[in-house]
Amino acid sequence: MDRRSFIQQGTAFVSVGTTGAIATAGLGLPLSAFAQSRKETVRVLAEGAPNSQDPHGEGVSRESLGLFTNVYDRLINFDRVQVSPGVFKYDYARFRGELAESFEQSADGRTLTFKLRRDATFHDGKPVTAADVKWSLDRAVSLPASKRQLATGSLENPAQFNVVDPHTFRITLPRADRYTLPNLALFFASVLNSELARSHATAADPWAADWVKANAVGGGAYRVENFTPGQQVIYARFDGWKSGAPPQVRRAVFQVVPSASNRVAALLKGDADVALQLPPKDLDALTDTTRAKVVSVPVTTSFRFVAFNTQAKPFDDVRVRQAIAYALPYTSLLRGANLGRGEPLFGAKSAKPASSRFPQPYPYETQLLRARELLAQAGLAKGFKTSFSYNVGDATLAEPAALLIQEALGKIGIELSIEKVPGAQWGTLQTEKKLPFFIDSSSAWFNDPDYFLRIFFQGDWRWNFGSFKNDELARLVEQARWETDRVKYDRAIQRAIEIAFDQVPLVPLWLPSFEAALQPDLQGFTYYIHGQVDFRPLTRS
Amino acid sequence: MSTGGNFAGRVGARVLATVPVLLGAVVFTFLLTHVLPGDPAAFLASGPSAGPAEIAQIRARMGLDQPLPMQLWHYLVALAQGGWGQSHTTGQPVWTDLRQRLPATLELTFIAFALTLAIALPLGAAAALRPRSVWDRACTLLTVGGSCMPTFVIALLLVYVFYFLLGWAPEPTGRIDAMLAPPPAVTGFLLIDAALAGRWDALASAAGRLLLPAVAMALFSLAPVARLMRASLLGVLRSDPVRTARALGLPRRAVLASALHLALLPVVTGAGMVFSYMLSANVVIEKVFAWPGIGSYALDALLAADHAPLQGFVLLVALLFVAVNLGVDLLHGRIDPRAGADA
Repeated sequence: MDRRSFIQQGTAFVSVGTTGAIATAGLGLPLSAFAQSRKETVRVLAEGAPNSQDPHGEGVSRESLGLFTNVYDRLINFDRVQVSPGVFKYDYARFRGELAESFEQSADGRTLTFKLRRDATFHDGKPVTAADVKWSLDRAVSLPASKRQLATGSLENPAQFNVVDPHTFRITLPRADRYTLPNLALFFASVLNSELARSHATAADPWAADWVKANAVGGGAYRVENFTPGQQVIYARFDGWKSGAPPQVRRAVFQVVPSASNRVAALLKGDADVALQLPPKDLDALTDTTRAKVVSVPVTTSFRFVAFNTQAKPFDDVRVRQAIAYALPYTSLLRGANLGRGEPLFGAKSAKPASSRFPQPYPYETQLLRARELLAQAGLAKGFKTSFSYNVGDATLAEPAALLIQEALGKIGIELSIEKVPGAQWGTLQTEKKLPFFIDSSSAWFNDPDYFLRIFFQGDWRWNFGSFKNDELARLVEQARWETDRVKYDRAIQRAIEIAFDQVPLVPLWLPSFEAALQPDLQGFTYYIHGQVDFRPLTRS
Repeated sequence: MSTGGNFAGRVGARVLATVPVLLGAVVFTFLLTHVLPGDPAAFLASGPSAGPAEIAQIRARMGLDQPLPMQLWHYLVALAQGGWGQSHTTGQPVWTDLRQRLPATLELTFIAFALTLAIALPLGAAAALRPRSVWDRACTLLTVGGSCMPTFVIALLLVYVFYFLLGWAPEPTGRIDAMLAPPPAVTGFLLIDAALAGRWDALASAAGRLLLPAVAMALFSLAPVARLMRASLLGVLRSDPVRTARALGLPRRAVLASALHLALLPVVTGAGMVFSYMLSANVVIEKVFAWPGIGSYALDALLAADHAPLQGFVLLVALLFVAVNLGVDLLHGRIDPRAGADA
């Protein structure tokens, strides 16, 4: 019987915890048992909840990614850099070992050899071996969700993963790939306790996907003490964790509080330590108080944008798209809808990209005369009517934005009818390319511009929001995919960005920031791509 | 003997009559959820690398590629075998979710309902006995105020005043302090479970957290019950039997007792309806107080194009409605023997 089912069934008082601290928690001792640990406890309030404990699962919620980070170890993870006192951001370019003590890449870049820590164990005490790593990666490239992502780093086939000896693990690649290491640092490459998971596999479910979904099988710094889908997750520190400095936080509670004002109230009253997913106005109010501190880290892999269907009239005419890019009220959008929280992606001085970084500011700003001229050239001097949609789940920001855009485009004769689309329907409409004109935001896993352009500006999937087709851009991005010469890479990407500037597959507005509100004494908060809380480096001063 | 058989027959007939209602509810919700424009497969495949092939794969695995009647048939067959489907928002079987969450909703509704009755019945009666008195004015004020303020406004106001400003109420999050280990689950009702286990800290925490949401709900449901009580008692007090009793010089207490008895019938019907309504309509309260009940579960499912929980929720609420109606019917029979005779 494991701890989880013990708590859920709540049967008699059986002591099953392996460490003293955890056994105490389960036995339901009075409050005093926890009072001393307030300093060692962190309570996080968020809008949604984790729905799976399987890092290779299908349809996992965003909040689950935080669970994977804390409960599982990977071979390597991103290193971090300080962005402001007590606040860190992951460093996309540097890695540090988690389960791997060291790793080396062969001269041709095709072989990666990892030396595993000898003292690492899973939560049940079983040592972590190269066989577990192999089984986990085999599983990752066999289950659909993780398979899709890891394929972007040339990790596709179980034959690529080899156990050299119990503490040496080797990956061979068809060709050197700059996306292999970043992929291995994502939660998709988590290492699972293969023996435990396999004991729950069935003929129909050889990877024990059904079981792992509800039962974490990791060896990370925290174990799941209580998992109530849609409500809360309680984590207890795993004191046998060896893959990093011992965490200070002994217990972490992640709870769902749908109302943002209640999350703020609990934070200000000192009942909560971290409040996630707060609307701009609450963040603005919190910035002025000393009872909370607001963390704000620009998410360089994401953008807020306005997109149109470039394959349908009237947006198939590039002049119409440019006219809109000249007519949008950028500054009032950023100030009015997002209270200025974000980096502008407009107003660049030159039509030539400044660097190969992407997203970067587009050379457009509000110039109504230019916009009218372009519309007239497109034969639409009198304007036209179309609909403008936004996701109801995104309404705090998108609703004021839609009104501002409606007003601004009215000035050049474009009449917008605003349509609110329920969240459940949004994905369908985007996938089927049924929205003529809309506002949304999105992000990619990795920072490289070719990765970003490949996801958002080509292909017949949902993420090509503008349904953009341009052969030259597609060719440049494909060429950059395997380019190892930095100069040639930059040249190809800058040309591709120039095409995006000119052809406007969509109009970026600003670069959003990851924002959270913390207790002022909480230090060491580290932002990762997934925007969830990593409890391991948190401390209280 | 004959009354006993009569009673069982009555209950049996009533239960049998609910079968078509339930079946209708099941089929109707199924069709409604599947006619909704959201595609669960597109929603699920929201990873940045999911293309059309993956979406088709997920659709096939969920059986969404089959014709609608076929899907309905599969659903009904599974339901008959006790399978309520699988939720993708929580990753659990729907029945497990509902079973875990129903006690939370019921506990809150029972307490709020008890509060409603405890305030509304005396208030309504006092207002009827002393028309245009201070009691009557207070009754009007409370009922008008309670019914015209939206529930979430009342709820947020209560939170702001009693938690944030005064600090009298505990944090409005969930059923129990997350730092406390919950008592062993026996009934799922935290108050009962905590008392059974002798866990007074858990009992205090659970009771404290029930208070604000229960008051918010009660304020809203007070109005119909109090007004009904007042109107019904006023009518009865003016009726022939009561006037006759008064004329015959019966003691005031006895007159009042029989008048109350007579006035109770419409109030029980009304209260039954209010209770059913509270069960399904406390979504807002559950959201504000992060209460892990079935209402917020259904709302989350709706937003995530998660069909199975939605269908399960409607079926469960239909079952509860049927049970409450049956209860009200039987109560009628107890209060007024005439009501049972010809049913």
